[in-house]
Amino acid sequence: MAKIGLIFNGVWSHYALATAPKYRDLYELLYVHELTAEAVQHLDALAIPFQSNQQVLTEKQAIIYDFLKAGKKVFLEGDSSTAWLDAQWEDRPVNNYWWVDDPTNPPVSETNYDHPVYQGLTPRQACWHTHGVYTRVPESAEIIQTNATGDVITWQTHAYGGTLLATTLDPLVEHGVQQITHLDNYVDRLTYWLSGEQPSAARMTIDAAAYGVGAVV
Amino acid sequence: MLQALLISNGLQGLEKYYVSNELVQYTICPVTRDFAPDLTPYDLLVVPNGSDHVAMLKIKEQVRAFLAAGKALMCCDGFFTAWVPGNQWVMDNSRRTLDLRYTPGPDAHGLLENLDLDELNFSHGMSGWWSCGYIQAAPGAEVLLADTWQRPIVVLDEVSTPGRMLLTASGPLADVTYAGKSETALVVMYRNFLRLLSSETVPAHG
Repeated sequence: MAKIGLIFNGVWSHYALATAPKYRDLYELLYVHELTAEAVQHLDALAIPFQSNQQVLTEKQAIIYDFLKAGKKVFLEGDSSTAWLDAQWEDRPVNNYWWVDDPTNPPVSETNYDHPVYQGLTPRQACWHTHGVYTRVPESAEIIQTNATGDVITWQTHAYGGTLLATTLDPLVEHGVQQITHLDNYVDRLTYWLSGEQPSAARMTIDAAAYGVGAVV
Repeated sequence: MLQALLISNGLQGLEKYYVSNELVQYTICPVTRDFAPDLTPYDLLVVPNGSDHVAMLKIKEQVRAFLAAGKALMCCDGFFTAWVPGNQWVMDNSRRTLDLRYTPGPDAHGLLENLDLDELNFSHGMSGWWSCGYIQAAPGAEVLLADTWQRPIVVLDEVSTPGRMLLTASGPLADVTYAGKSETALVVMYRNFLRLLSSETVPAHG
């Protein structure tokens, strides 16, 4: 039974991940326009992917904060509206090709590998590209990743009851896109941290039957 | 000038990629819980990369009626629900993106004119950057670009409905040349489609 709710605004990469045989028993798609407090009660964690509908999330922020208040985990990736988050996210150009053009200068320069999501990851597995930075985070936040200029890439706080982990990395979307081949490592660590369930060691595959008239929406 | 309805999924920065210009006037339509846009005032429906394909499935019949009236649809990647008449996008990761190369097909309307295919084949010398599944194209639709394994990647469909559909497996196509920036392959293709729709010498129904 799924333990992680993937808040979903009809974007294909979210759908590809959550319907992949490797992950479909662990993630439950929660359509953001129909998101209610009742719909998340049975879950241990929420994941809010890159390319989410920030305006609707702002309208429904009480559901997220009440979920945290219940001692549960929330993972937030990619860009984020400051309207519902006590932090300042700012856009930056995405560098997809640092590893080709300037491999000694990755978009993340410091990582706390003691964090459970990052334990055992190589630097390459812990950073592919970033979608902006946080220039302000809550006072209570622990900093987990920064870039070379000291901007925050990943942070975590327990200030709301449970654990909110926020990053400008986009592991869930990029794993759905399937152009970065090492992302099983990060997403499997993240999935275990969120749910306590270890996904199978096999590489993510796609179930073609979940597309078209067979789409599960 | 074309009147286009641009569907917005509330993503950061969408408006920067679609700016009204001499060819087209964009009206942005946000997806809401009660999403039911009136398509009738528009010539073109633009469903960009990162769109809400649950919402689009809800207006499937309105889209079909829109195309039945001879109007046009541009949809960039990821239509995993069955709302596009005659065509279906499917995700696939069974092939190595490293091996991916695009091959042009018949192009009766010149939508690939002035397009540098190497821009789609390579980025910073790396291939596979534009890889996002493929399209199960309608029989008789024009496959403008196929991939290494002959799977449709860009499709112009003038047969499934009385209207026109330009569909891509990958995204984004965008309309960002308003500021005189150099035209990338994706912009060239999109603007060639806009010119086709704008042309008075080409019938709206091929």
